Amino acid sequence: MAQVKYVSASRVYTKGAPPAVDGLDLDIKDGEFMVLVGPSGSGKTTALRMLAGLEPLDGGRVEIGDRDVTFVPPKDRDIAMVFQNYALYPQKTVAENMGFALKMQGVHKEERDRRVREAARLLDLDDQLLSRKPKALSGGQRQRVAMGRAIVREPQVFLMDEPLSNLDAKLRVQTRSQIAELQHRLGITTVYVTHDQVEAMTMGHRVAVLSGGNLQQCASPRELYENPVNQFVAGFIGSPAMNLQTVPMVDGGVKIAGTVLPLPGPIRAAAKTAGLSELVLGIRPEHLHLANGSGELPGDVILVEELGADALLHVRLAGGGDPVVARAEGRRPPALGAHVTFRVQPDDMFAFHPVTGARLAA
Amino acid sequence: MTVVEDLAPTPNVQVVPRGVNRREQWQRRLPLLPALIYIVVVTQIPFLVTLWYSFQSYFFDVPQPAHFTGFSNYTTAFTNAAFRGSLVRSVVMTATSVIVAMLLGVAFAVLLDRKFFGRGVARTLIITPFLVMPAAAALVWAGPMLDPNFGLLNWLLEPFGVNHVAWLSTHALGSVIVVMIWQWTPFMTLIVLAGLQSQPADTLEAAKVDGAGAFATFRELTIPHLRPYIELGILLGSIYLVNTFDQVRLMTNGGPGTSTTNLPFYLYQQVNFAFNVGGAAAAGVITVILTIIVATFALRMFARVFQFEEAGA
Amino acid sequence: MTAATLRSTSKDPRRAREMAGRVGWGIVAWVVAIAFFIPVLWMVITAFKPESAAETWPPQFIFRPTLAEFRLVFSGWGPFVTHSVIATVGSTILVLLLGVPASYALSVYPIKRWRDGLFFFISTKMLPIVAAIGPLYVIAVHTHLLDSIWLLIILYTAMNLPLAIWMIRSFMLEVPSELLEAARLDGAGRVREITGVIMPIISPGLVSTALICVIFAWNELFLALNLTVTNAATMPMYLISSVPQEGLYIAHLSAAATVASVPVIAVGWIAQRSLVRGLSMGAIK
Repeated sequence: MAQVKYVSASRVYTKGAPPAVDGLDLDIKDGEFMVLVGPSGSGKTTALRMLAGLEPLDGGRVEIGDRDVTFVPPKDRDIAMVFQNYALYPQKTVAENMGFALKMQGVHKEERDRRVREAARLLDLDDQLLSRKPKALSGGQRQRVAMGRAIVREPQVFLMDEPLSNLDAKLRVQTRSQIAELQHRLGITTVYVTHDQVEAMTMGHRVAVLSGGNLQQCASPRELYENPVNQFVAGFIGSPAMNLQTVPMVDGGVKIAGTVLPLPGPIRAAAKTAGLSELVLGIRPEHLHLANGSGELPGDVILVEELGADALLHVRLAGGGDPVVARAEGRRPPALGAHVTFRVQPDDMFAFHPVTGARLAA
Repeated sequence: MTVVEDLAPTPNVQVVPRGVNRREQWQRRLPLLPALIYIVVVTQIPFLVTLWYSFQSYFFDVPQPAHFTGFSNYTTAFTNAAFRGSLVRSVVMTATSVIVAMLLGVAFAVLLDRKFFGRGVARTLIITPFLVMPAAAALVWAGPMLDPNFGLLNWLLEPFGVNHVAWLSTHALGSVIVVMIWQWTPFMTLIVLAGLQSQPADTLEAAKVDGAGAFATFRELTIPHLRPYIELGILLGSIYLVNTFDQVRLMTNGGPGTSTTNLPFYLYQQVNFAFNVGGAAAAGVITVILTIIVATFALRMFARVFQFEEAGA
Repeated sequence: MTAATLRSTSKDPRRAREMAGRVGWGIVAWVVAIAFFIPVLWMVITAFKPESAAETWPPQFIFRPTLAEFRLVFSGWGPFVTHSVIATVGSTILVLLLGVPASYALSVYPIKRWRDGLFFFISTKMLPIVAAIGPLYVIAVHTHLLDSIWLLIILYTAMNLPLAIWMIRSFMLEVPSELLEAARLDGAGRVREITGVIMPIISPGLVSTALICVIFAWNELFLALNLTVTNAATMPMYLISSVPQEGLYIAHLSAAATVASVPVIAVGWIAQRSLVRGLSMGAIK
């Protein structure tokens, strides 16, 4: 069994400074693909390195399987890691790179070669590449060698630190699905760090969103998308991002776009309980429906981004404020400068506390 | 499903790569010329003159002017045990110093690579021997350090049973070599240290995760990484150490007997005491030829060091 | 957001072991550093001794320090130090003047056979200057340059130029090519490119190179010994002259040695980073 547990894990770099990772509690199931996502500085890489044993813990503990590995050196944790810049051994051939860990374990040459060749086949690496050195390989090939080096070890846990960030866009999309498929086939518990929320959403069984060293929410991609627990998660997950605006409360709703938008009952009640006079309203772009003149929210189109299947409209709502983004049909989007109106379903509205960011009435 | 191939359109104009045109080529050569001409004049002319004199019999202390004497200087040099001996001693001294200095250099670089209290000061102390004037180092080692009667070394080693050893008499060659090593280890240390500090940190972490302990990491990753640095150190160190003169002249004056006479000192003696310009010239030419032979082996090493420094633009 | 209670380092066995290791190896490093430095220290200590205290057994560590030997050294060093300074500074300037353009031609916009050029320069260092000392003497006599400071400047420049070219070249290779392209687009000619763009960027490298040249020129003995007598005698020669035929001289020698070495040691200590950079060529990547 190779579940992974972070129990109140903390890491502080300088005494007195805010922790890089602050009391992280995370349970990762055996065979799960867990993605740690967040902006830079959120502590996701530090958390991964704590699991690898490359960063010490200043508080709490880490468990792999049922073992407390907090004080165990990396080589005894039965993990394998794919580094952001691949960290391939420059003076060794691809085969030697992939077989290095096995060599350290004392595995015999024939067995080593067999496992290396197997992993190479799995990753679509040509036999002739095996005798080349890393600097003679393309970026994509190097990335696969880095993966191969991890796979060969058949560890209990895979750790991946933004392995796709150095690839060009097209290759990234391709490799993304390959990694997900590979993990599914091998069934090894994987902890994957990325700052790209699209990667997080498409690859993970569950996604843990971190910010400022703290876990914001850990749930399935769908759950994160439909039920964000606070403003940070709501604004981070989803592309294009959810429209968020601070709006004053009025009787029955909020004032926005020069008009009163009615809020659903539960939200109004939660706001009243918290004694708020304003809140942060969140509406996803696809939930702003174009209504030919009959919608509640009027505005002017200031930019049209044509994506082919869809179009993204940047609209300045009447009454000023930051422009909102709305998703529209790709075929005949409104023209630049056109006056449009939007309709919103009450169920599609999110509201957040203006100070704490917590979701009002989940 | 038909596949449409992307065919490059045939060019209308015949395009022939021209590279850099002639005028540009000369423009590029221009900045090099002052240095090139200077070096050619200052180094090649003396060499040609040396070649000329090697075929002459020319002595400073004799009224006769220089006169042609064919290969006699060369045969004398080849049959001269003193000359051959000095060549051998040069090789021994250079090879020993370079190898030991490099071994120590690697060890010291590894020590200086980790952080510890006062690392900067420790490094400053270690590089000082390289900065000390070799003549000063030679005289200080000969007198205050190694003298049998008041030298510091004998005093430090007394508890170990060493009794007023006259190092420069009984262990002359070793003493000279020790000073050479003392002065050049810092050089090797700094070069290797630069190599250690240029090792990418994430490869070392990957090795940690892959199960390599400290020794295994050093053997499998660090040493291969250090290879070009070590080669550079050995190459440059050899170039300078083969010309060692100060220590020989000032510590032992080539002696006792000829036991510490290396090539520079031998030639110095020929010119200044035997006043034998012709003989020294022939010996010099032979040295140059031998050096060229060794250098062609070094050229292969060069190629690898050069590999890392590709010219651009 | 949990406020986690933090654990002290000593309770973590891995980190505790790491710390102990670090302290242990630190001590070894210090022992090595001090051992290496002792001869220099001894030289300086002996320089402050009166002669009577310099040649004793056991060697004295407590004594009444005196500046007498230093005073003697300073009273005699005038011409020697002047010649050393002129030869060192002069040759270093000449090296930079010749070396910068040459390195440029071997790195930034290289000539076609740059490898041959570079190898030629290095090869002149590989051929021992000692081999030509006799003929050099003869040439010096004929050109009336014997015992002239100009001869030393000329020869020291030739001695340091190959290494300087190699070093400066490696620093020039580090200049990002985009900067050079931008300068070209802005209309900079070759000279402007070197002086305006390249030299400011490599100026630390130039300092390193100059430092190395200064060290080798200041410390040079062989050529000075053979080709000068009085009019161009340098500090190393002064040092040799402090060893008399008879009588006590150890303290005086130590003082002379200290004075002769201090300039380069001081410069090397102060510009240590620069020196390290230069010695490791900065650019063996």
